[in-house]
Amino acid sequence: MAKAETVGSKEAYFTASQGQLIWTRFKRNRSAVIALWVLIFLVLAGYFASFFSPYDPTIAGRDKDYLNGAPQIPMFCDKNGCSWRPFLHGVEMKLDMATLRRNPVVNEDQRLYVEFFVRDWEYAFFDFNLDLPGDSFDIRFPGITSTIHLFGLDGGKIHLFGTDGEGKDVFSRTLHAIWTTMAVGTLGVLIAFVLALIIGGIAGYFGGWIDSVLQMITDAIRTVPPIPLFMALAAFTPPEWSSETRFFVISIILGFIGWPTLARRIRTHLLAERSQEYVLAAQLCGASSGHIIRRHLLPSFTSYIIVDLMISFPYMVRSETALSFIGLGLKDPVNSLGALMYAVTDTDVLRNFQWEAIPVLFVIALVLAFVFVGDGLRDAADPYSGTKK
Amino acid sequence: MAMRAFFAVVTLMTVSLIVFTLMEFVPADCAERYVAFKSTTGQNITEADIQAERVRLGLDRPFLERWATWMKNVFVHGDFGESCILRQSINDLLKDKFWISLGLSLAALFVAYAIAIPVGIYAASSTSAFFNNSLRFVSYLGLAIPNFLLALIVLLIWSYLFDNLLVGIFSNEYRDAPWSWDKFVDFLSRAWLPIFLLGWSDTAFALQTVRALMLDEIGKLYVTAAAARGITGSKLLWRYPARHAMGPVINSLGFDLNRIFNELPVIALILVLTEAGALLIDALARSNDQQLAGAIIFLLTAAIVFTNFITDLALALIDPRVRRGLLG
Repeated sequence: MAKAETVGSKEAYFTASQGQLIWTRFKRNRSAVIALWVLIFLVLAGYFASFFSPYDPTIAGRDKDYLNGAPQIPMFCDKNGCSWRPFLHGVEMKLDMATLRRNPVVNEDQRLYVEFFVRDWEYAFFDFNLDLPGDSFDIRFPGITSTIHLFGLDGGKIHLFGTDGEGKDVFSRTLHAIWTTMAVGTLGVLIAFVLALIIGGIAGYFGGWIDSVLQMITDAIRTVPPIPLFMALAAFTPPEWSSETRFFVISIILGFIGWPTLARRIRTHLLAERSQEYVLAAQLCGASSGHIIRRHLLPSFTSYIIVDLMISFPYMVRSETALSFIGLGLKDPVNSLGALMYAVTDTDVLRNFQWEAIPVLFVIALVLAFVFVGDGLRDAADPYSGTKK
Repeated sequence: MAMRAFFAVVTLMTVSLIVFTLMEFVPADCAERYVAFKSTTGQNITEADIQAERVRLGLDRPFLERWATWMKNVFVHGDFGESCILRQSINDLLKDKFWISLGLSLAALFVAYAIAIPVGIYAASSTSAFFNNSLRFVSYLGLAIPNFLLALIVLLIWSYLFDNLLVGIFSNEYRDAPWSWDKFVDFLSRAWLPIFLLGWSDTAFALQTVRALMLDEIGKLYVTAAAARGITGSKLLWRYPARHAMGPVINSLGFDLNRIFNELPVIALILVLTEAGALLIDALARSNDQQLAGAIIFLLTAAIVFTNFITDLALALIDPRVRRGLLG
């Protein structure tokens, strides 16, 4: 019985595809699996941000009666007893004569209950809008609209992470920002990847003097510190550009930061692979260059590429936050994690309204999740990782 | 060796071409910018003024010719020309600031490796799971916590503890004073924070690199052979695998410097430093001064290229295999 099982698992092992093998090895790495779940959670929270967030993250959803308000955590019990439904106490803004600030005063006798699946502002899923310079590039796809939100407060407003100086809900902004930052990062990675694949591919496949020249250019570009250089580019973008255009430009800039490293790795790998015997065998069988590249060379390093993309993601997120943080990337009406962190530079915010720094935790979580998943994938994709110590 | 020097110069020229071209894409040229700036001070400006300014700056000549002139001025005379808006010599503007930036960055690099090399080597030989895991954790944090955030946290804690903000690179009385011993001491008493912040994520990277390289080397046969001859402990580590592992580390110094330069403007912004990084932000965010920005980026890159050149030389001195490859 036991023997049959091992034979079965052996057979499964030998007939497994590369993807299945990688997945099996990946699952053994506990921290990577946890990181993957965190990542999936963050991506979903980011994509369905409008559903999860009770208020519009833009100025339209501001709560003008609760500026710089502290986070409100729903509770089940207070001095008047317990309830099955989570609730909040009513809040009123009163002018504090000592500090001349309007401070929230909690009315502990008033209970406002948290409701689920409430109807509020309208948003859309799966929609797609592009507003690039020039009308012919505009693409519109309406998607599905809905007004249902996961939760809200009956007869009041709930701010899980508090509000910022304009009364915008930090929780809603953070969720939307995750998606923006990821989208910028993804676009950046894709651009870097395409550039790297073309340049590294040409250098690696043809070798010789083409390789030398391309390598020299790549090396020259690699020596330029990218953030100062692209700060320069970002700074010189006209201020009247729409936020979408800015978004694309920042993505392109990030892509240009990322490509040389990727290109170098693809080139090195191609150089090593193209002299392998299976390539020679294919050539002897009369296969064309295109066929060899598609059927033999590309599959030989898809896992490397996926891992490389995964690993370069945190750098994209970091670069985005750094650029936005110095005020040269995405700016306030756009909710990106970097733009949100820009608010924290204010000493007043740092000293008095620390909850506005909550997005920072999401940046750290996002970067860490990507790093762990990337590392896990790298180990899993390396067929010798189990045999090496 | 002459080959290496030649390559360094070619790299610099390529870089200068890239920077120069990018600065060319910037909407509105130096003349327009200057004249626009003048018009904000209340002077009446006509199209003819812009043209005259353009001719004066030589902007009417073709692109390649201007690049060649710029290159000649930089390489032969070490002159970066005038800033677009401030109308001051860029050399005068940058002088001290560039050296301070470079000093801070090199110090950060030094601190990073002063920590990373011993700890990394020890980590590679240590079998303690706790030590290795906590090291991994610290390295990941180094990657995940952007150092501007770290800077903010340090500033916040500092302002709570000591009730003054730890910003600026000189205290008030020394800001405009000429360099003296006292000024240097004052500088050091404040420089530790930017050095630490600049080195923070690089230390994390370096730790990982050193550890991985050492792990690779430790498993090799020559180490086993040395151990079989009775060499043990730190002597074994430092004399055999560490020397091999240092090669790639030295090789990567240039890129570490690159990484530190990336952080420079951000840290400068938070700590209100007044060095090249801050000047760069100033040139970019406030005045859109492409001439100045280009010069700073070029200088930073030149520092990296120079570091690469030096590390190549150092590697040839240390490693006979590299020496043979270079000479023969």
